[in-house]
Amino acid sequence: MIAVIGITLCLPATGFLLVKNASQLSSKIEYDAQISVFLSKDISDDQIEFIGSTLKQSNLVKNLHFEPKLKAWEKLQTKLKLNSLDAGISENPLPDAFFVTLNSLDTAVIESLHDDIQNLEGVNEVIIDSGWIKKLRSILYLIKVALFVLATLLAIVLIVVIGNTIRLQTLTYQNEIELSRLIGATDSFIQRPFIYTGIFYGLGGSLVNAGLLTVIIEIFNRIAYKFEHILGGSIVLYNLSLNEYLLLAALSMIIGLFASYYAASQSLKKIKKNF
Amino acid sequence: MIKFSNIFKSFSPANEVLQNISFEINSGELIFVTGSSGAGKSTLIKLISALEKPTSGEIIFEDQNLSDLSNIDMPYLRRKFGMIFQDHKLLFDRNCFENVALPLSINDTTSVDINRRVRAALNKVGLLDKEKVMPITLSGGEQQRLAIARAIVSRPSILIADEPTGNLDKKYADDIMNIFYSFQQVGVTVIISSHEAPQSPIKFKELHLINGELGNKDVPLLS
Ligand SMILES: Nc1ncnc2c1ncn2[C@@H]1O[C@H](COP(=O)(O)OP(=O)(O)O)[C@@H](O)[C@H]1O
Ligand SMILES: [Mg+2]
Repeated sequence: MIAVIGITLCLPATGFLLVKNASQLSSKIEYDAQISVFLSKDISDDQIEFIGSTLKQSNLVKNLHFEPKLKAWEKLQTKLKLNSLDAGISENPLPDAFFVTLNSLDTAVIESLHDDIQNLEGVNEVIIDSGWIKKLRSILYLIKVALFVLATLLAIVLIVVIGNTIRLQTLTYQNEIELSRLIGATDSFIQRPFIYTGIFYGLGGSLVNAGLLTVIIEIFNRIAYKFEHILGGSIVLYNLSLNEYLLLAALSMIIGLFASYYAASQSLKKIKKNF
Repeated sequence: MIKFSNIFKSFSPANEVLQNISFEINSGELIFVTGSSGAGKSTLIKLISALEKPTSGEIIFEDQNLSDLSNIDMPYLRRKFGMIFQDHKLLFDRNCFENVALPLSINDTTSVDINRRVRAALNKVGLLDKEKVMPITLSGGEQQRLAIARAIVSRPSILIADEPTGNLDKKYADDIMNIFYSFQQVGVTVIISSHEAPQSPIKFKELHLINGELGNKDVPLLS
């Protein structure tokens, strides 16, 4: 019984563990969000300087690089192996631009910075480029939501499983329950041992789950260690924290309590109907 | 102490099990509820011990109208009675000691007290040497005495027994009756149902049921 609960708990717990490790990994990846600030064509040098100093003052800005339109134009020309005359373009079509590296990946913060810069005079367009890390984040978020749904479903499964086990136990003790009622036991006295059993199942299940997870992580890490040279770096899974285990234990004990209380009071109701 | 006024009890509208029952039981009395099978003895016993509620009428127990009691109060009321059921309701997966200890665990007696009181109760019914024995191995008379030990272990002031000698040989039946008489002698109110009133050495009051009604036999006078 406790093993069943432990394995059931283990499914979403493993999922959360992977997601948690993945998000930790993704935040460790050396990747910075970038903002490209394209300025108006007819901007004055004073304005450029003002915008530059404004950007520099922001504590979100890690690195600031100014690219004058001339230089950008030259770059483009060498890249495309053409010159202005060949292309028949007499005028430089490119604007001056600032390339800003940010020290935050927080979408909300970046959005508000984007708006602030956009509002500066002489700024034509601001483009945020935080690329794949953002996508990874949103995928992880989606997985988290899916896991939450899965966990909720499994919680219901646990309630049913524990409830059913407790119900069967009340059947085994039916004579005793009936007699206890007749000689003056209160309902809560009769339900108490069953509720304790339910809570114990929850606690035991979460302990089994902790053991299983630890073994899974240990096995994974050993295998990952062997393949370190292939993977080009070690991938280490970290176990859930003590607090997370405590939370899990508390949740499964609450599930046990709820399920057994429900089962015991239902059985009691049935027995009461007999006299 | 217990007063029934115009009690009716039916389990279905068509079938009145008890009709217009009125009587009074005083503290320390010995009461026999008699009548043939199906007359309503068990039903009356259940009403007295608050295991059933009357369909109509009033039951006063120790100046309390039982219809005023909530379901939450019922268990505490039941603890005042020592019950011996017609089918004894012994737990066959527990030994004698554990069977007798059950009422004490219900009202939170400490384990030292439990040991002492269970042994005292077993001693009173002559089963002290059987405390570790499973009740299935006991004879009919011994099982009945075990049920009595369980009923008296919490020292109730009222002892209620439903046909305690119903299927016992005369010799065993007399033993059992003598145990009840001895409790009545020390001030316990004893209410016993049986087919017919026995040759009792003690004064008793008889409630004779005929098809759910009290017969005119000696009621409610002491005989
Ligand atoms: N729980 C019950 N439901 C329906 N009928 C009952 C119930 N208990 C007793 N009766 C009926 O009440 C009548 C009296 O039963 P009972 O009080 O057990 O009689 P006694 O103990 O004198 O043999 C019987 O006809 C029986 O069928
Ligand atoms: Mg009967």
